[in-house]
Amino acid sequence: MKLKLIYSRENLGKPVLSEVISKTNLPINILEAKITLNTGEMLIDVPAIGEKLKEVSSLFQKAGLIVKEITRTIEIDREKCVTCGACISPCPVRAIIQDLNWDIVFYEEKCVGCGICVDACPVRAIRML
Amino acid sequence: MSEERGTEKLRTYDEINQKIKRGDAVVLTADEFIKTVEESGLEKAAKEVDVVTTGTFGAMCSSGAFINFGHADPPIKMFKCWLNDVPAYKGLAAVDCYIGATALSETEGFEYGGGHVIEDLVSGKEIKLRAEAYGTDCYPRRSIETTLTINDLNQAVLLNPRNAYERYNAATNGTDKILYTYMGTLLPHYGNITYSGAGQLSPLYKDKDFETIGIGTRIFLGGGVGYIVGEGTQHNPQNQLGTIMVRGDLKQMNSHYLRGATYYKYGTTLYVGLGIPIPIINERVAASAALKDDEILTNILDYGVPSRNRPTVKKTSYTELKSGKVEINQREVQSSSLSSNKVAKEIAVTLKNWIIEGIFLLNRPAELISNYREFKPLEVKRKEPRVRDIMTREIIIGKPNDDIKDVARILIAKSVDHLPIVDNEGKLMGIITSWDLAKAVAQDKRQLHEIMTLKVITAKEDEAIDTVVRRMEQHNISGVPVIDQSNYIIGILTTDDISRKLVRRATA
Repeated sequence: MKLKLIYSRENLGKPVLSEVISKTNLPINILEAKITLNTGEMLIDVPAIGEKLKEVSSLFQKAGLIVKEITRTIEIDREKCVTCGACISPCPVRAIIQDLNWDIVFYEEKCVGCGICVDACPVRAIRML
Repeated sequence: MSEERGTEKLRTYDEINQKIKRGDAVVLTADEFIKTVEESGLEKAAKEVDVVTTGTFGAMCSSGAFINFGHADPPIKMFKCWLNDVPAYKGLAAVDCYIGATALSETEGFEYGGGHVIEDLVSGKEIKLRAEAYGTDCYPRRSIETTLTINDLNQAVLLNPRNAYERYNAATNGTDKILYTYMGTLLPHYGNITYSGAGQLSPLYKDKDFETIGIGTRIFLGGGVGYIVGEGTQHNPQNQLGTIMVRGDLKQMNSHYLRGATYYKYGTTLYVGLGIPIPIINERVAASAALKDDEILTNILDYGVPSRNRPTVKKTSYTELKSGKVEINQREVQSSSLSSNKVAKEIAVTLKNWIIEGIFLLNRPAELISNYREFKPLEVKRKEPRVRDIMTREIIIGKPNDDIKDVARILIAKSVDHLPIVDNEGKLMGIITSWDLAKAVAQDKRQLHEIMTLKVITAKEDEAIDTVVRRMEQHNISGVPVIDQSNYIIGILTTDDISRKLVRRATA
């Protein structure tokens, strides 16, 4: 599951993520991080579901972070799509591929929501959610 | 070739059409024909198969439509006109225009262009027409504003000067910046490869000596029936880069096969669906129609080099490109198409079905398209300024151990913003800008080497100014040191040099 963590000014310098990793022993992956002087946002991938995922979320919340579950990143409008493939190779995490029939297959769980495919699509069939 | 091009040795066009009318013509798509040849050999397959169908669906910028609006009352001789705010070419008679695929909307820019107007017309949408005129004795009206659909038009004819490239160069990017090109989004450091063209389904590659393709050949165009008008612009058949000019009635077309498109930060275009039936009139044509993806080769070019002669990174085949991964410098790089392989197949199948159903007959072209054409570049005869002509040669340079405060004083005294840092031999090591100095003071740094930028964007003295300006824009900088082959600094080029000296040259 992908989680978006929002840091406030108070908890900006604290090693919250390291603490959660050492407590839960989960190999949490940072997908994207934006830190400014006042606030910070981090997109992480937590390889857990159910109770374990709830535990991770509550640890972040206890540390003062706002936690949002990211279930959807982009949407492909199949009516507009011309199956050209222009979005495929620019994707840095191979979340969009073409199958043997050249149909576009999207792996939501791999997507990090970078949006590069949105610009790459010549017919504007992809939008960020 | 001893025998004349286009010899109908295995079967004539008339024989093929009689079989089509009787319902017993053997028609295969190029994919199917390749399998048949693999199974039973070329000679047998050529004897059995009458027609091989092809298809492609890709971005074809040299596309557009001639439109006749009919006359308003009082009538107008349109001098300028816009369709949904996209300007159309009006150097024609009073109410004729040509709307080109790459023309951009004056209100929406890259998001909407001539290609989109054509798609919207074909799908029956209402289009806003605006026109201006100077008024004449015979055409007194000076402006017009109305809406129309394709049904209101006398003629709406797709006339594309260059379509269906036989094959196309693939693209990659060796720079450290993401590039947005007509070959799509190219990630830095050879991060991906994009390609275009249908490979073994590509219409022109399936008759690469143009033995059956010529003026008047009936084809599948945009979901309707179209015709080849002649060779396309930039036709370069001897290098398997042949092209065709085509025309067809927009009113019969289908927007599934004509789609307006935008290449991010590049511009608009039109995706055109096109398929050609290849009559197997002799064994040479059969051999060409049987060519497979692994026999259709192309070059992967570095689009990071903004020159007419982009370097070839690798020679590859459509098999490798279509596999989704290509090895470059011992590393696997993702490749993907810009033209739709799925719709290309769909077109080849549709054309096959039309022929089998007897609603599409083949025809002998009035004249074959040439299989040789000289390919010329555009030479610029006027002398254009190069970096060496406007760069500043009296450069103020720094050494890594110079004191920041001393340097700041010099920069202020000489009023310059860029300070290249060189070693004892005069070779470029880094660069400092006045902004870096401001930061250094804030962070209490002392010597230049603590704050200099090591990865310097540079220029060569023989480069064109426009090339360097684009580089500065990409990196968001306002000056570049000019270096020679051995990294010795010989000058500096700043936006200040460009604006002042180029303007002076232009007014001189």
